[in-house]
Amino acid sequence: MDFKQEVINLLVEICQDDVVKENPDIDLFESGLLDSFGTVELLVQVEDRFGITVPITEFDRDTWNTPNNIAMQLADRK
Amino acid sequence: MKLLNTIKEFAHLNPNAKAYISPAEEVTYAELWERSERMADYLLKQNLKKQSPILVYGHMEPAMIISFLGCVKAGHPYIPVDISIPIERIVKIIDSAQTELVINNSEKPLVINQTTVKVADYEDVLAQQGIEEPITPSNWVRDDDNFYIIFTSGSTGNPKGVQISANNLQSFVNWMTEDFPINGGLRFLNQAPYSFDLSVMDIYPALATGGCIFAITKEMIARPKLLFEALAKSNTQVWTSTPSFAQMCLMDPSFNQELLAELSVFLFCGEILPVSVCRQLMERFPKAKIYNTYGPTEATVAITSIEVTAELLDKHQTLPIGRPKRDTRILLLDENGAEVSSGEKGEMIIVGPGVSKGYLGQKELTEKAFFQYSNEQAYRTGDAGYCDEDGLLFYKGRIDFQIKLHGYRMELEEIEYHIAKSQYVKSAVVIPVYQDEKIEYLLAAIVPNQHGFEKEYQLTSAIKKELGELIPAYMIPRKFTYHDELPITANGKLDRKKIKELVLQ
Repeated sequence: MDFKQEVINLLVEICQDDVVKENPDIDLFESGLLDSFGTVELLVQVEDRFGITVPITEFDRDTWNTPNNIAMQLADRK
Repeated sequence: MKLLNTIKEFAHLNPNAKAYISPAEEVTYAELWERSERMADYLLKQNLKKQSPILVYGHMEPAMIISFLGCVKAGHPYIPVDISIPIERIVKIIDSAQTELVINNSEKPLVINQTTVKVADYEDVLAQQGIEEPITPSNWVRDDDNFYIIFTSGSTGNPKGVQISANNLQSFVNWMTEDFPINGGLRFLNQAPYSFDLSVMDIYPALATGGCIFAITKEMIARPKLLFEALAKSNTQVWTSTPSFAQMCLMDPSFNQELLAELSVFLFCGEILPVSVCRQLMERFPKAKIYNTYGPTEATVAITSIEVTAELLDKHQTLPIGRPKRDTRILLLDENGAEVSSGEKGEMIIVGPGVSKGYLGQKELTEKAFFQYSNEQAYRTGDAGYCDEDGLLFYKGRIDFQIKLHGYRMELEEIEYHIAKSQYVKSAVVIPVYQDEKIEYLLAAIVPNQHGFEKEYQLTSAIKKELGELIPAYMIPRKFTYHDELPITANGKLDRKKIKELVLQ
């Protein structure tokens, strides 16, 4: 499985919604799928599964807004 | 009232000391006092019914605190309502409290389709008022008069208003200033929106000690980068938040004593405080003390406390909520209303001067939850607890369907009521999903009506959209599952236990 797919699978688990897979360009914050607490869970899981540490201060909703963008941001930090 | 007199004295002795800092504006004690005088003067001229509640709407503007004080100086309790509350819920609150006036501090127009209520914009109120005679303390709320009314989730689908009197609040403030090291004009962080009474834990202890409130806005919480920039310049000394909020901050390695050099006290309330959070805080903030507290809105914010020390963490896997404040007792009662024998679990009953007189205009609900116990007001919390051999109290969950999610209190039945009203839904059950001992998120198990959506997620967004107009975002379940039918018990009720097994397998 490629990295992007793994990130999207993780987001499906955290958002508990298949829309993440169906529409990887959906804005997770505008659609109410992710909030501050969901973000914390995401970053904990990213560290556990991929070994990538993202300080919460670097998590900007403008650039980490969609499944595709989050996968891209994480790929850059791999 | 002593609290108001104290604030007045600070305004005279230290007029230029800061009382409130928000990103947009700072106000001093003199400004706080003078502007709330003008607000009170305006209110006294409105011909409102005596002691009728005034709804104060907005977010983290200093105008909120000015309005709160303006209301109580004019003899009216206030109902704090944050901008995160949807309009339909605000209308329910207005109806339930028979509010005649809303003060809008949000700087955006607030349109309420209700003919009887008047909406006054804060700016307009203060612009029209010149400085008049000081408001005489005989106008102030006092003793058993209501000081504020906070609306919480109700199981019937309607929020209920908890009435907190001047005496209730004074008992709380006395305890805070006597039992916690927060005196001497310190800087207090405020994280909670004002419709959530955790905010009372910093507002009034700050103002009663000549301290200053530093406001955290929802924009900051949404963008942690802004939050950390604000924290860095906040000079926070007293930290008050939910454990969830501290947990979020701990996600950043820079959250430590270097960022908040002067931080000396952490106060936690609103949900279970995990041992892991305390361990991390101790490592990162070696100079700070940590306190766990417990209490329902009905007993004025909090009524038990304990300092969390390294020894306590070594001894307990679940932290105790501590001991009740001096003027308050906690009884542990079994189903028959008899005190449990020592070491056994029972419903916690709070007895003392911090206990509310009841729910506004809700005689039946009030009689169910409140009663007199040897001439003192008592409240059945619905929380189970037990006392260990050292006399420390432990929280042991709910005896009904009320839950706490990230510090927000809600009734599962209220959420179910609103979901079931959706055109797409036949019936619904909301299940809290736990990770360790904490609720991670809510799940809605739904039997849908006929609908035209191709995919389940489209149906989910349609229902979530409807819910967004009825209840605050934090009450909307994260996950939705769909079923042809849901298991029922022998009594014909939806079987929560079976449904939980069904959806979590």
